[in-house]
Amino acid sequence: MVRLEKVSRIYRTKRGDIRALDKVSLHIKEGEFVVVRGSSGSGKTTLLLSIGGMLRPTEGQVIATKYDIYGMSKKKRAVFRAENIGFVFQLFHLIPYLNIIENVLLPAGVGKAKFSRADAEKLLKRLNLTDRMYHKPFELSAGEKQRTAIARAVLKQPRIILADEPTGNLDPENSAEIISHLAEYHRSGGTVIVVTHGKAVDQHADRTVYLEKGHIEKSSESN
Amino acid sequence: MTNFRLILKEIVQRKLNFLLSLLAIVIAVTLFVSFFTTGQASKDETIRLMRDIGFNLRIIPKKTDMEKFWKTGYSEHTMPESYVYDLASYESLSYAHLTATLQKKVFWQGREVILTGIAPEISPPGKEKSPMGFSIQQGTVYIGFELAQNSGLKNGDNIDIFGKPFIIARALSESGSKDDIRIYAHLHDVQGLLEMENKINEIKALHCLCIVNDKNTNSLTLLREQLTRTLPDAKVILIQSIAQARESQRMMAEKYFGFIVPFVIAVCMAWIGILALMNVRERRQEIGIMRALGYGSGKIAFLFIGKAVAIGLIGAALGFVFGTGLALKFGPEIFKVTANMITPKIELLYWALAVSPAFCALSFFIPTMIAVTQDPAFTLREE
Repeated sequence: MVRLEKVSRIYRTKRGDIRALDKVSLHIKEGEFVVVRGSSGSGKTTLLLSIGGMLRPTEGQVIATKYDIYGMSKKKRAVFRAENIGFVFQLFHLIPYLNIIENVLLPAGVGKAKFSRADAEKLLKRLNLTDRMYHKPFELSAGEKQRTAIARAVLKQPRIILADEPTGNLDPENSAEIISHLAEYHRSGGTVIVVTHGKAVDQHADRTVYLEKGHIEKSSESN
Repeated sequence: MTNFRLILKEIVQRKLNFLLSLLAIVIAVTLFVSFFTTGQASKDETIRLMRDIGFNLRIIPKKTDMEKFWKTGYSEHTMPESYVYDLASYESLSYAHLTATLQKKVFWQGREVILTGIAPEISPPGKEKSPMGFSIQQGTVYIGFELAQNSGLKNGDNIDIFGKPFIIARALSESGSKDDIRIYAHLHDVQGLLEMENKINEIKALHCLCIVNDKNTNSLTLLREQLTRTLPDAKVILIQSIAQARESQRMMAEKYFGFIVPFVIAVCMAWIGILALMNVRERRQEIGIMRALGYGSGKIAFLFIGKAVAIGLIGAALGFVFGTGLALKFGPEIFKVTANMITPKIELLYWALAVSPAFCALSFFIPTMIAVTQDPAFTLREE
């Protein structure tokens, strides 16, 4: 499903190079729920963005759904992302001037995936956001915002969900709810890769990958 | 969600940025529309004012003794009246408003007066203009201020000049010059009175400075060359003070416009560009998430350029309304003589609707390039 072959990513700064990923090789199977852990600056987010076609590695290859995604043109990679990948970020990144249903429908403008407004409404109902549909993001609680972000990510039924600290700004109750939604998506056959410090996700994970200083220190299967 | 709806919603969300950008384009369009709406009136008023200064060229017989000429104010020699038609038929002539005159000091009713015959103005082919001097009917005269005062003459009075009756068509106001002791009549009447048929002693003309655009060309040299080719028996005197006043006035207007146009364009472009840059900066994470959702560079660019075009179109329409309003309100007070020429010019609206969106899009170009090239991987990690 996703294969990283000796992927390195170096950030060049005025104070010297930072090797965020150092020859990382990783294979994630279709339908797998993978948790990525590590201390701050260990390269977790860089890994996630590289898998998502958002950050070109300095060296190495990222193969997703059989395609070398950085071998594609920028335009093709954008379409690939639209059709195959859903992102969830710690800071939600909702568009402030669109209401909730419009935010969820934002991916409608790109890619081939077909979905209707009715699909979006159904999804929002499932995520308990029906009464918030016409609210602007600033009128929502953090948990509601993250549920909206999840709705936006899963609406087009992508093959992979990449979540970067999705519970980082949430209380334990909301964190558990968000993780349960990701788990539900996983149960329906989706591949989920979550970068997190939280423990709530452990019970759903098939595997946990530990990153340290750009290396995979340990990869442990869950029972 | 269409791109147009996204643009509209963003405009509604960030009203201040939009309104400030709109203000810049409205100011620019208002300025240009009011300027061009009053432009023709301003141009014509300047021409009218300049024309009132008088002729700046005197063409006199070549053998004129200049000492005597300056003492008496006219040439004692004459040249054929046909010279004025010869001159007018010269194709590349840089003169206009050619007026044949014949003047001579005579004693009339115990006073020394300057009897001045003036022919109707003629212009070279293709340069026909409304007359800038007197156009006197035969059998009528215009009488100078001093003469009218001292003899108690007024408009409509009948007078006799050397046995020939004339009607005073106009008693002139005070000029503070020799003109106050002149009697102006039609050239042919004066030729008859002085028994100098078909003779003139001066052609007054206006040198068309607009023809001499080359700064390296001395206009007087050019005039003399043209005259030598056309009328070898005549010479030309350029009245420098009048010529320079005309040229200065014309150059001043051109320089003013030449400065103000690029200045307004540069300021408005910078103003809109800076606001667009601020808008891009504010929307970095929004652009980042759109990238993550699969929006390509073209779609992102469309959101910004589309906004620029919207600002341009609305600004053009508002600027036309304000500019025309300003011109109609204040134009007639400034250009009193040519006030009736100030009317709404719909073609300026078409120009504004075409140019203003393009101008805004150009101002948005660099910010848009920044928006489409910024790395979403970085912006999405910013807190």
